[in-house]
Amino acid sequence: MKTMDFNILDSIPDLDNLKTFTERYFSKRYLINVDGIKNNDMMIMFHSNRIALLSLAPSHSFFSKNENYKINFNVGKIDRLNNSVKGKSKKGGQLLSPKSVICKIEFSDESVFEVPCCMKGTLVEVNEELVQNPLLLKNMPDSDGFIAIMLASIAISEATKSELLTHEEYIKCIDCSVNKE
Amino acid sequence: MDNKAIVKFCKEVGCCDICCLRYLGLKNPATYENYKEYIHKYTESGVEVENNSEEQQITSNSVDNINGNTDVNGCDDEPPKKKKKISICVSCFGILQEENWSECFNMVKETLEKKRYECSTFACALSAPIATLLRDKAIILHLSDAFKDYKEDTLTPLKEAWKWTFGVKLAAQIGMTLDSGAISPLLITLNMEYPDEPQELEILKQLSPSLFQERQKQRRKFTVEFTRPSVEQAMDKISLEQLKGVDKWNKIPSVDIEAKCVSAMCVHAPSYLGGRYIKLSRELPQTPWLIKGKRMMESSVQEIIFEPIAKVFDLTPEDVEHRLKFMSAGREDVDVRCLGDGRPFAIEITDPRRDLTGDELKRVCEEISKGGQVIVQKLMHVSRNELSELKKGEETKCKTYEALCIKLGNENPEPNILNGKTPVAVTEEDIRRINEYRNTEAEDEAKIVVKQRTPIRVLHRRPLLTRTRRIYDVVARRVPDYPQLFTLTIRTEAGTYVKEWCHGEFGRTTPSLRDAAGFRADILALDVTAVLLDWPRPQ
Repeated sequence: MKTMDFNILDSIPDLDNLKTFTERYFSKRYLINVDGIKNNDMMIMFHSNRIALLSLAPSHSFFSKNENYKINFNVGKIDRLNNSVKGKSKKGGQLLSPKSVICKIEFSDESVFEVPCCMKGTLVEVNEELVQNPLLLKNMPDSDGFIAIMLASIAISEATKSELLTHEEYIKCIDCSVNKE
Repeated sequence: MDNKAIVKFCKEVGCCDICCLRYLGLKNPATYENYKEYIHKYTESGVEVENNSEEQQITSNSVDNINGNTDVNGCDDEPPKKKKKISICVSCFGILQEENWSECFNMVKETLEKKRYECSTFACALSAPIATLLRDKAIILHLSDAFKDYKEDTLTPLKEAWKWTFGVKLAAQIGMTLDSGAISPLLITLNMEYPDEPQELEILKQLSPSLFQERQKQRRKFTVEFTRPSVEQAMDKISLEQLKGVDKWNKIPSVDIEAKCVSAMCVHAPSYLGGRYIKLSRELPQTPWLIKGKRMMESSVQEIIFEPIAKVFDLTPEDVEHRLKFMSAGREDVDVRCLGDGRPFAIEITDPRRDLTGDELKRVCEEISKGGQVIVQKLMHVSRNELSELKKGEETKCKTYEALCIKLGNENPEPNILNGKTPVAVTEEDIRRINEYRNTEAEDEAKIVVKQRTPIRVLHRRPLLTRTRRIYDVVARRVPDYPQLFTLTIRTEAGTYVKEWCHGEFGRTTPSLRDAAGFRADILALDVTAVLLDWPRPQ
C-alpha cells in the first residue's frame, strides 16, 4: 500500500449541500424585542464547544436603517476595547450580565442603538475590525461582522441555549409579527 | 580509632553485628558479605560480650555466656531448648539481622512469582523507618562522647550496608544477579516499618519544638507530622545533653518489637515502542473523545494501536489505562487524514514484564493495519532518550498539507450584495495570484507570515493569544471537472492552523488565503502529506 495512491480529490464532498463555516460550527439562537424595544432583535451563535458569538438578528431594525454609522465600544463606564483575558479560564475578562451593553451603534442622525449581550458570561474578545470596517456588521453579521466573543460555564451556556429561540422558532415569530402588521 | 573498643561499646549498647561494622565506618562491600568473620576480628577472642544480639546456638559444648546460664544438653527428660530470644538491634530495629530476612525473601518471591519478569538482573532499595535516623544520631552522639576521635560522619548508611548484606543474600534466594539501579531496569523495593515509631518520634517535639510543634498545629496543611527531611533537619542540631534530657533517652532505649516488611514492590523501568501512523479515516480522533464520560466517537488512533499490544501482553482495560501511554509529534483533527510516511508516535509501557519479539512487533503492525483506518508499517523498540525527538518534531519541524478549497464570490463586494457564499469559477489568474503571493522579503525562505488568534474551536480550553506563524510555500492548482474548486499544497511551520488560514476565521487569521487569492474561500478537506522528522531511529 502506497499512500501515493491517496489524493485529496478522493474527498470531494457533495457540492450541492455545502455548509458555510458558520453553519458547520455554530448553532444560532435568537432573542427578540430585547428590553421591550420593538425589533431590538439579537442573535447569539453557539459553537459546539460553548463559545458564544454575539451579533444582530436579521430582523433587527439596524438592517432597515440607511444612515451611516460607527461602532463605539466605549459604553460609558467601560471601554470594551480594554478587555484583556489571561489563561485558559479567561481570567480578567469583563464580566457580563444579560443587560450589559457591549457596544453602541452611533448613527449620523445622532440616534444610537445600544447592543445588549443577552447572556451572563465573560467577555473574551470584541471584533475590533468593526471600528475600521463598520460595514462588516451590515454585510456579514453572521461571519466577519460578529460583534463579540463570550465564554460562560457549561451550565449557563446550556441554559441560555435552551431559553433562547431556535432558528425555526425565530422564523415563526418573525412571520407572526410581520403578518400582524 | 580503636575499632575493638568501638565494637565493644556498640555491642553493649545493643547493636547487631552489621550495625557495629557500620559504626566503624567500614565501606567495603566484601566486608559486609562476610560480616561474621569481620566482627570476630573486632571482638575479644573467645569472650561473648554483654547483650550479644547474635543467636546463640545451644550445643552440647555449653558456652559460658554472660547471663550465667550454663546449658548442658544432656538430660533426656528436659524439653528441647528453644532458641534464645534474640535482642532486637537498637540501631536498625532488626533490619540487618539475618533471622528476620526469610520473611522478606518470601514477600519478594511472592511478588516476582506473580509478575514473572523475563529480566535476570535486579537492583534493590530499602525504605527504612524514619526512626532509624534518630537511633543513628543518638548512638553517634554517645560514641563521640566516649571516643574523642570518633567523627560523626563515620557511619556507613543503613541502606548501603543493607544492599551489601541482605541484597547479596536475596540474589541467591531468587536466582538473579544483583546490580546497581543504574544498570538493572528491575527495582525491588522493600518497605520496612517500625511499629513503635510514632511514640519514638514524639520526643522530637521536645528536642526540636520549633520544627514540629508548628506542624502539629497545622494539621490541615501537614497530614504527616514527621517527614524524613524534617527529621534529618532536626537531627543536625541535637546535642548529647539535649538527648539525655529526654525521658528514657539517657541511654539508648531497648527495642521491643522489630521492624516488619509491609511490602515488597517490584517495578521494571518503562520500555518504549516507536513508529509512524498513517490515518486514512476522516472520522477518527487521535485519542479517545469523551465528554463528561460519554463517548463522542467510536474509536481512536490510540485505541486501534493499543489493542493488539494489549492482547499480546494480556492487559486488562484498566492495565491499558494505567500502563500504556501514547505520545506523538503533534496531532491532526478528526476529519483530517495523515498520509505520506505518517506521523511519528511512541508508546510508553510501564512496568513491562518482557520485551516484544520482532515477530510479535510485526504481527502487531498487521493487526493495527487490517482495519484500514490506521496503518502502521513498522514498530520498533526505542530508548527513553529518543523521546525528546518527538517533542522537537511537534514544536519545530515543518509540515506539508494538501487542502481542497472552494472559491466563494469575489472581493470588494458592493454593499447590499450577498457575498462570500456563492461559488464562482476559479481562473488561471486566480491560480497565478495565489502562487506568486508573498508578504515577506524575497530572500525569506517563508513566503507568508501570518498572525493567528487562538481559533474559536479551541478557544474554550486554550488561552487567547496571537501567534505568528510562517507559511513557507503555497502552490495552487485547479481541479479538472470542478471549476469552483482548487487544491493547495502548503508547507508550514509547526503549530500553524491551516484550516483557519484558508477560511480566515472571520478575520481572526491575517493575512489569510483571501488576501493571497483576492477572493473569499472555504476549505472542504485537508490531508497532512508529510511530517518531516527522522523517526523512529533504530538503536
